[in-house]
Amino acid sequence: MDGIRVANMTRKQTRIWVPKSNKRRLGSVSRRMVFTWFALAGLILLVAPQSFTGKFQFAFARIFYWPLSIGRNISLSARTRQPLTDAVSQREHNQLQNHLANITEELLQKHRRVEELSGLRDRLYALQGAKLMLADVITGSISGENRLIINRGESDGLAMGQFVLGDNSVIGTISEVSARTSMARLITDPASNIGARIVGLNVETVIQGDGKDSVKVQLLSIKHKVRVGDDVYACKKPGFLDAPIKIGTVAECKRDDENPLLWDITVKPACDIKKLTDVAIIIMNPQQ
Amino acid sequence: MRWLRFAVFILIVTVLQAGMVEIIAVTRWNIRPDLLLILLVFFSIYCNTSEAIITSFTIGFAADIISGAMGSQTLSFGLFGTSLAYLHRVVSIRKIAYQSVAIFITGVLAGTLAYLLSLLKGQPASPNIYAVVFGTSLYSSLVGPFFFLPSAWWMRIKTHRFRKS
Repeated sequence: MDGIRVANMTRKQTRIWVPKSNKRRLGSVSRRMVFTWFALAGLILLVAPQSFTGKFQFAFARIFYWPLSIGRNISLSARTRQPLTDAVSQREHNQLQNHLANITEELLQKHRRVEELSGLRDRLYALQGAKLMLADVITGSISGENRLIINRGESDGLAMGQFVLGDNSVIGTISEVSARTSMARLITDPASNIGARIVGLNVETVIQGDGKDSVKVQLLSIKHKVRVGDDVYACKKPGFLDAPIKIGTVAECKRDDENPLLWDITVKPACDIKKLTDVAIIIMNPQQ
Repeated sequence: MRWLRFAVFILIVTVLQAGMVEIIAVTRWNIRPDLLLILLVFFSIYCNTSEAIITSFTIGFAADIISGAMGSQTLSFGLFGTSLAYLHRVVSIRKIAYQSVAIFITGVLAGTLAYLLSLLKGQPASPNIYAVVFGTSLYSSLVGPFFFLPSAWWMRIKTHRFRKS
């Protein structure tokens, strides 16, 4: 009867199987000591800076790049509905739509500039001097987090703060970089704060992710006229972005419950971030 | 305990959790079963206490690698996996219904603790975190016991060693 413990449970005698080695120590180390060591290791991981612990996540993504990509492609294809009889796919349509919106907005800005500074020449395409680095998504929105791990890193010229584009619209910024992989914080992440402007308004504001699939525009007074369907653009940021690029469109606009003097605006991203398989990173003033 | 099998198994399940479980995600919060949580309960039930401590912390570390803040799940999985292993010494968790309840309660407790620990690390608060934790635990508890059989087969663990006297 070695290894069998008899216990009285609810007046009914029940045998519970207990492994033989349960009474033993693991080598010469007690269970309490094993638990203490592991708990200490967990605490060290918890208090260690994210820049250090993120290396584990990057290493995992790099080592298992192939199965992770395959898994992601399978899950994407399983969730993608087949289009009916479109001439172009929905994704291509969105890409072109966003591209058109970016060009239109840029053109409008250039017109204004030309009016202001008539006679002065300027670049027509503000992103002409920038380099667009294409990257594949290794894992997307891991465990519900609003982040992407991509297969480009510091050795490719990526740095923290650079803007990430998906289907020609801003979807986030680079938040962590390792040698060959990077993590992009999506605009839908609650920790994401990006300067933005609603089309037709001459005021800059900040957008913050709501943790789900949309973005909130913050601190915009109700004296500004905002309509559902208005485009929202990322503001220029010296060294990172030299032209306004579309983020999304206003999906809902109502008075803020807490502060009725401000708008509570919900912005829907211009592309379906969950279905992205590749992204582009804007590298301003590239070395090469 | 066959540790090499365990390592390979955890790696496979971690890759599956990170890449493919999204296929069976439900609701607009993208709720999916947590395979690592299911394994945590499986090893806590079917291993001896010393092994359960090691497997709990290891599975927590694997969960951390595919999530945001490192350390939070290592600690929460380790703590509740160990507690479950000790609890199993006095309360038998052999029926599928009991195993489901164990997965659900462990999921809710471990998820909540992991969230609170991640706040210490300055991770952003997700607005519907408690709904997500509840949904994930519920989904895992529904599919979990069916995942026990292939797990036991792979780990060469006999699950039918419980007999009434």
